[in-house]
Amino acid sequence: MVDTGDEGSSVGMDTDFADSLLRIGRHFQRGEASEDLRTLHQIGGRSADVFYRDRWAYDKVVRSTHGVNCTGSCSWKIYVKDGIITWEAQQTDYPSIGPDKPEYEPRGCPRGASFSWYTYSPARVRYPYVRGTLLELYREAKQRLKDPVLAWADVVDDPEKSRRYKASRGMGGFVRAEWWEATEIAAAAHVHTITRYGPDRVAGFSPIPAMSMVSHAAGARFISLIGGAMLSFYDWYADLPVASPQVFGDQTDVPESADWFDAGYLIMWGSNVPVTRTPDAHYMTEARYRGQKVVVVSPDYGDHTKFADEWLPARPGTDAALAMSMGHVILKEFFVDRQTPRFTDYVKRFTDLPFLVSLDKRGDAYVPGKFLTATDLGDTSEGAESKTVLLDGTTGEPVVPNGSLGHRFTRSGEGRWNLDLHSVDPLLTVLDSDLTAEIDFPRFDTAEPGVLRRGVPTRIVAGKLVTTVFDLLLAQYGVHRPGLPGSWPTGYDDTAQPYTPAWQEAITGVPAAAAERIGREFADNAERSGGRSMILMGAGTNHWFHSDQTYRSFLALTMLTGCQGVNGGGWAHYVGQEKCRPITGWSTLAFGLDWQRPPRQMQGTIYWYLATDQWRYDPFTADVMASPLAKGRFAGRTAADNIALATRLGWMPSYPTFNRNPLDLADEAQRLGKDAAEHVVDGLTTGHLRFACEDPDAPENFPRCLTVWRANLLGSSAKGNEYFLRHLLGTDSTLRASDRDGVRPVEVTWRDEAPVGKLDLLMSLDFRMTSTTLFSDIVLPAATWYEKHDLSSTDMHPYVHAFSPAISPQWETKTDFEAFHRLARGFSWMAEKHLGVRRDIVAVPLQHDTADATAQPGGRVLDWKAGECEPIPGKTMPRIVVVERDYPAIGEKMAALGPMVERVGLTTKGVTTHPDAEVDYLRAVNGAIVAGRAAGRPSLAKDTHACEAVLALSGTTNGRLATEGFRALERRTGTKLADLAAENEGKRITFADTQARPVSVITSPEWSGSETGGRRYSPFTINTERLKPWHTLTGRQHFYLDHDWMSELGEQLPIFRPPLDMTALFGEPNVGAVDGLDGHRSITVRYLTPHSKWSIHSTYQDNLHMLTLSRGGQAIWMSDVDAAKIGVKDNEWIEAINRNGVVVARAIVSHRIPEGTVFMYHAQERTVGVPRTEKTGKRGGIHNALTRLMIKPTHLIGGYAQQSFAMNYHGPTGNQRDEVTTIRRRSQEVIY
Amino acid sequence: MTTLLWLTLPYVAFTSFVVGHIWRYRHDQFGWTTRSSQSHEGRLLRLGSPLFHFGLLAVLGGHVLGIGVPASWTAAVGVSGEAYHLMSVSFGTLSGLATVAGLAILLYRRFTVTAVRKATTTTDKIMYLLLSTAILTGMLNTLGSNLIGGGYDYRATVSPWFRSLFTLSPQPELMVGIPLSFQIHALVVLVLLAGWPYTRLVHVFSAPVGYLVRPYVVYRTRDVAHPGSRRYARAWETAPPRR
Repeated sequence: MVDTGDEGSSVGMDTDFADSLLRIGRHFQRGEASEDLRTLHQIGGRSADVFYRDRWAYDKVVRSTHGVNCTGSCSWKIYVKDGIITWEAQQTDYPSIGPDKPEYEPRGCPRGASFSWYTYSPARVRYPYVRGTLLELYREAKQRLKDPVLAWADVVDDPEKSRRYKASRGMGGFVRAEWWEATEIAAAAHVHTITRYGPDRVAGFSPIPAMSMVSHAAGARFISLIGGAMLSFYDWYADLPVASPQVFGDQTDVPESADWFDAGYLIMWGSNVPVTRTPDAHYMTEARYRGQKVVVVSPDYGDHTKFADEWLPARPGTDAALAMSMGHVILKEFFVDRQTPRFTDYVKRFTDLPFLVSLDKRGDAYVPGKFLTATDLGDTSEGAESKTVLLDGTTGEPVVPNGSLGHRFTRSGEGRWNLDLHSVDPLLTVLDSDLTAEIDFPRFDTAEPGVLRRGVPTRIVAGKLVTTVFDLLLAQYGVHRPGLPGSWPTGYDDTAQPYTPAWQEAITGVPAAAAERIGREFADNAERSGGRSMILMGAGTNHWFHSDQTYRSFLALTMLTGCQGVNGGGWAHYVGQEKCRPITGWSTLAFGLDWQRPPRQMQGTIYWYLATDQWRYDPFTADVMASPLAKGRFAGRTAADNIALATRLGWMPSYPTFNRNPLDLADEAQRLGKDAAEHVVDGLTTGHLRFACEDPDAPENFPRCLTVWRANLLGSSAKGNEYFLRHLLGTDSTLRASDRDGVRPVEVTWRDEAPVGKLDLLMSLDFRMTSTTLFSDIVLPAATWYEKHDLSSTDMHPYVHAFSPAISPQWETKTDFEAFHRLARGFSWMAEKHLGVRRDIVAVPLQHDTADATAQPGGRVLDWKAGECEPIPGKTMPRIVVVERDYPAIGEKMAALGPMVERVGLTTKGVTTHPDAEVDYLRAVNGAIVAGRAAGRPSLAKDTHACEAVLALSGTTNGRLATEGFRALERRTGTKLADLAAENEGKRITFADTQARPVSVITSPEWSGSETGGRRYSPFTINTERLKPWHTLTGRQHFYLDHDWMSELGEQLPIFRPPLDMTALFGEPNVGAVDGLDGHRSITVRYLTPHSKWSIHSTYQDNLHMLTLSRGGQAIWMSDVDAAKIGVKDNEWIEAINRNGVVVARAIVSHRIPEGTVFMYHAQERTVGVPRTEKTGKRGGIHNALTRLMIKPTHLIGGYAQQSFAMNYHGPTGNQRDEVTTIRRRSQEVIY
Repeated sequence: MTTLLWLTLPYVAFTSFVVGHIWRYRHDQFGWTTRSSQSHEGRLLRLGSPLFHFGLLAVLGGHVLGIGVPASWTAAVGVSGEAYHLMSVSFGTLSGLATVAGLAILLYRRFTVTAVRKATTTTDKIMYLLLSTAILTGMLNTLGSNLIGGGYDYRATVSPWFRSLFTLSPQPELMVGIPLSFQIHALVVLVLLAGWPYTRLVHVFSAPVGYLVRPYVVYRTRDVAHPGSRRYARAWETAPPRR
């Protein structure tokens, strides 16, 4: 209102009428109206405030976090009122990352903020449950036999009884049980299994220790102490990029999210950062304000695409073709047309490019062979066969530089395992020689694999024709240099010759000019910024059968441009919360390394592939993947045969190991007065003893007891879900494939009748009903993340912080820690009578980061069974170790820190520390055990004790151990390292510290990067700056892999391999084929299962808030084009079918999905809206009902340098991206 | 039967009406709402709501006049029976038509607009049934009996009966033999009154009439006279001195 200056009209309301009403009002109301009649002032009348004040009042705030395999690892405030969790809010007190950079917070996403819903939700498991059928059978037997173990044996040994309860898995019928009874049944099952079949028939599955270390360790400790096998998960999830061990000799080490901000050029390639890394996506957007260029490569118009400066929509699974063409451009423009000093210097010092490879004659040309070693030069000293050779650029003479594997474990290598080249300037190419040779390279881009013949310059060294890896690489990428023979691309526009930009356009659909320009820009930025070009990658490109090759083609870009080991540069691979920063302390507790070694650690994919009988359904042999230049090693061999070979050569672990109970086997050896190893070797060579994996369907070789906790195996990771249901569990499935036809293995026993229901006991611990608990025999109610003490860390932030209970576990729930200790006590009690102290024969595969990695030099495959070598445990076959198992003492050992900690020391990645002071410290803070077998040892009886122990025993959280570890490493490398941790030598992070706020960790030899001086974490900076070798054959990052099986697949160098052809392999219809199926039009499409915006990592799909925000039930995203072809409208019900199973879901029709591809988001629970199928009349499957496992042979390689086994480090991936499915509209009337 | 319908039922209905409101006010203040559906639909509401509500206010006024005021009183102030009849029929018809039109629009809207339909509870549906029946029978009485059928003098039967309930000298026999439509109307209204406190109709008592004469902004100072209104005392605070 305009003040007119007139006193009369300036006060008051808009009109005289309104004014008069208000004036009248003054006489009717309490209180005093202001002169201008706008406000009324009253006294009192605020009783309604109480309600609102009370609504937002709370009694306490507790700090905790979420253990959901979320890389965010955000810290949260949990509000509690009257003992009820009311809501959660973001914490803001993260450690600062210093000036000039955005801080971690604000962080915490809506998914995390919805977690408290679960506490009181209908999905909550409140009581222990046992399936009624089983419980009745067990109770009846126990009443009769008066002994839990005998009762369990009575039920499972009776074929009819065991069929009955197994067939009812997944059919409901849970009844409430008491804790004592549920754990009694479980303990009895374990005791019986160990007695009858052996401890290696027991397994535990619990992934991602970093997401709640103590909860993981509690169960893994129980399983490990009794001799059961803990199953790997990282490779099983297909989250392990096998290229990482292949190239870096490291499981996975990646930059923290704040380091994205340091990058000048960022390619997001298979990782949808705003969706799957929500709380950290701000770094990506903030970096753009700093001038960072962001490129997205993604088949769909994903959420990250809108943040990008450029979008390269490569077709699904073709990413390697694009990367190869970028590599072509970089090699041509930055190495051949012009020398880039920074790049050349980098690859000479930190990659295998200057190393010599011998060339083998094949027909009228050559193929690349083995790395030239010191042995070839006539050196016969220790480790010579593991020392690689390069040429000195000055003298032209061969040199054996420091740092290769031969220096790592030998006495003479002490002080010489480093990357210091001294005065040697390695020769990158031998082009100055006149000698050339024509090399045959395989190509897989054509319908039938073909051969490319391209020349390289060569030299004769020690009588062998050799060339450098760099020369081979140029030929592989098709970068021509004058004077070299062979067929070469005529230029970037050559569409026929791999690997040009024009060549890739036909494969990926990305314009040649864009591929060329982005490749050039990536390298140009790296040159000008000193290596600050980054590729952010993830499951989108990593879950394919040939993802190791895709990743190698990516890593080639970062290595050629000198970006690895540089802040703001290199690879940034994120799939889950995989980095358990206090790794030494956690692994000590988890695997019971303080009491006995070695633990049984099983490779997950192999385990499931055999246990679920998916091996029976392979209609092809492994040579379908072979290179046209292969020697035929895989001819006639199935994946199961290759697994058998990998087992007996000591490459991969294999539990169950033998067709005998290993306890009985040990007794037998003792009876015969023989050494256990000798006894095993005799048995194997005479045929009296067989590996279990050679006859997976024999009842004595079945896995028997499986415990799943902190995991949703059957709702999330079980590729080939229907095979699990049929063969492992023995219940209904929608599996449609038949094992009647197809190839038969040559070494593995084929039984015409496939077993169903191999597993006797599936037990799960969870706080919510999942697709896994539905199928479990026993479900134990678990505490949530707001009800327990634990620890969390992530790869995306260098800090650790705590879970703390905001409330005590509700109803009858218990922490995993408490549950497993109860189980262990019950087990020990029964073991007094049934087991006692036993000796157990453990077969251990050749381990990475130990001298085992030098066991099979040259990667030459020698099979003792075929008489190609002697069977020598620990050399040509697994090591055979006897472990004493004091079964009645398991409960006591669980609850105390054992003596091997200080007596033997703790070893992580080859670095050993002796935490004697820490044991005294833990004895003081946790208290000592008073009596019994563990008397005098530090207590681990409470979860807080375990938290304290994890922190005290790890270098990342205990400066004294970090420094000690670096000193130990210094003795090996001869370079200066200990100063990296010296600033924190006196710092020890306690559990109370982590409860107060997230605490920055300490630079430690457990990892490859440095946080020293508040620096942002980037992997391999210790390698590049302190000349510490990578854990590989050459000690450098590898472009070239010379194992026999690598050349068999034609994958010695990075190469493009297209997605598997499911039509050729399994007879599925072609992608894009429109046909008729059950009277409806149908279309066959690629079937991808990426991560959704409303679930996975940070919460689950069944969360009511997320269901409300999304479609709220199983859904498949289709392109509008495909939907139109089969007459499907948005939100209509469809059925997706392939040989593996049937899925019913609603269609989400969206133009953001590319034609020919559908998305079914990962881990949609079968507890929410999963109706019956029209096809089978039975309940449809979940996303993994359409997938299955396929084993890539090269992932089985072991016993050779970086290609050696370690749990979650190396092994076949449980990939599933290559799958196709046929989709049709179905009746819109669905029945549940 | 006469006693049950015209004596017991009215008192039960009134009791339910009064006690129900007190109960609702004490136990469900947050549920004391119209549950407005304006956010779901506005166009039809803008037309239907005023028609209905103002029509209903007029109808209510007519009822006060026709049932609350004895014929003798109106006669005493000089309003003849014919004049009253004319007035009652004309105003009654006019307001009745407005109410019915408004109701029709609102019902059409309630059951055809999806969002509004989904916001409709079972209680609402029962309430609409009763309300519509009451209004339609009332309209029938006004139009049918008075206009077409030549008129019925409810002021001789229904009105005295109704008033007799309040003087605690009930005369249920007055309702015997009156036209069926009047009986039904009265019964439905009684049931409606009985259910009133449990439906959204409670909003009648919280119509924001006061806003017409109240300043827009209200400041409320804490009630100094009652320091104990804080639910919990401040920790360590000494108790207030006793007076």
